[in-house]
Amino acid sequence: MRVITLIALYLALWIPAANAQLQPDTIGQETMSAPAESWFISKTSAGAYIYDGLSGEMQGMLSLASNFTASVQPYGPRREFYAAESYYSRGVHGDRTDVVTIYDYENLSPVAEIEIPQKIAVLSMPGHLALTGNGRHLAVFNMTPAQSVSIVDVENRTFVGEISTPGCAVIMPIADNDFLMICGDGTIQLIQLDDSGNESNRVRSEQFFVVEEDAVFDLPVRTKDGWLLISHAGKAFDVSKEGTQLTVSEWSIVTEEDAEEKWLPGGWQLKSLHQELGLLYILMHQGEEYTHHEPGSEIWVVDIKQRRRIARIELEVPADNLVVTQESEPKLIVADTEDGLHVYDALQMKVERTIEDPGPSAAFLVDF
Amino acid sequence: MKKDSLIDKSYAWLDRHTGDSSRQLARSTSRRGFIGKLGAMLAGVAFLPLLPVSRPFAQETLGEIGDPQSCDYWRYCALSGTLCTCCGGTTTSCPPGAEISPITWVGTCRNPVDDMDYLISYNDCCGKSTCRRCSCHNTERELPVYYPSKSNSVLWCFGTEARNYHCTVAGVLGVAATDD
Repeated sequence: MRVITLIALYLALWIPAANAQLQPDTIGQETMSAPAESWFISKTSAGAYIYDGLSGEMQGMLSLASNFTASVQPYGPRREFYAAESYYSRGVHGDRTDVVTIYDYENLSPVAEIEIPQKIAVLSMPGHLALTGNGRHLAVFNMTPAQSVSIVDVENRTFVGEISTPGCAVIMPIADNDFLMICGDGTIQLIQLDDSGNESNRVRSEQFFVVEEDAVFDLPVRTKDGWLLISHAGKAFDVSKEGTQLTVSEWSIVTEEDAEEKWLPGGWQLKSLHQELGLLYILMHQGEEYTHHEPGSEIWVVDIKQRRRIARIELEVPADNLVVTQESEPKLIVADTEDGLHVYDALQMKVERTIEDPGPSAAFLVDF
Repeated sequence: MKKDSLIDKSYAWLDRHTGDSSRQLARSTSRRGFIGKLGAMLAGVAFLPLLPVSRPFAQETLGEIGDPQSCDYWRYCALSGTLCTCCGGTTTSCPPGAEISPITWVGTCRNPVDDMDYLISYNDCCGKSTCRRCSCHNTERELPVYYPSKSNSVLWCFGTEARNYHCTVAGVLGVAATDD
């Protein structure tokens, strides 16, 4: 008994002495490191998850107004994100406030907001928000259902004004301070802004598609010198601008043989383009007319300079969203229909990693 | 697919298109707001008479088969959203407390009973949390957002007091006129 007492006494004295050498953890807070080109955003119903495609690690999160956030866009030169958001004073009802919120890179926190008309088309689509080429003006798509665009000067943090754009949607920045829109009459509309962000000129292209026969997807992709539109049947339209002259050049991503096999483009964010390499990545499926939101069973890689397919990637699980990063060794990020988020080597066309537990489904993906 | 992921996926789909665009014009005191509201109301009211609805339909009773709580129900051929029939409403009425949007998108669906095409008005029910039951996404004759009257990729809670999306109903407007 005496021995046990001695041992207990020894332990009682010794253990606190050992613990005294252990420094307690300091609980702190990370700041986000500088984004790399391999980073991407998965915009979900719970906010925007920021990942590094190289490591697969999450870097942080933007708490957006969830369902009421049309889109989000990072802008490296000012180290800021821009989001067009609607808020209600009582959750799902009450007074509505529409704002462009500016978030910083370091803390992913709101640092400014600019109130805009309560008209944001809250459909979550990348093309509902775009920054002009000079980085000064942010255009936000409105629908009430009348269609218009709100212009915000994000440098000076001011709302500039609203531009009526009946029958046209999707914002495609071009040149320094202009943007294009797709119109329901089968044309493209050019809106040019002056230095202060007000409309200075508007030009309409010739009609080049018939919406009731073969509509173009409302998700165009930016090329090195313009935009590429793809129709539901697989026609491709290169759109470029010289001065105020709009040029449209038509070709096709499907051959006659592909069409016989009923290959069609489809998905939600179904295509993305590496601008420097001129490589288009597009989700394809076999189906009938009006299956334009059908998830893709394959990804086709199309060289847009040679206007021919150079690879096909078969998917184990159909996918509906993809984006390619713009680095020299690009990553292709693919969101499948079972909430999987996969990172491919976009040149070798091979899966490099699958992001573990990626959170809610990606509504769309944004590259940095 | 696991139920949880199905719900998340449905919710993501709604997120993609949980629109809720504007129209908080009622209490706006500005002249511009009033004119905007008036314009949209007129547009909505003026829309119905222009629809290519065949007159004889008005005298007939519609025969239907199928499950109104299923995405495959014939009226839902161009419906994207959650079915009000699963949320306390019917094919043509909103669940309790949800406000029906007077401005709609329109689909053309074939009724399997008589093999005829009908124009269907898809009205969103608004002002409550999204009902995350029976989520569907059908795209028969659906067109992109730049052609709004046939686009289901937008939430259509326009012209209502509160504009949060709850669910969608599908009302038959009439027999679709044929081209010939």
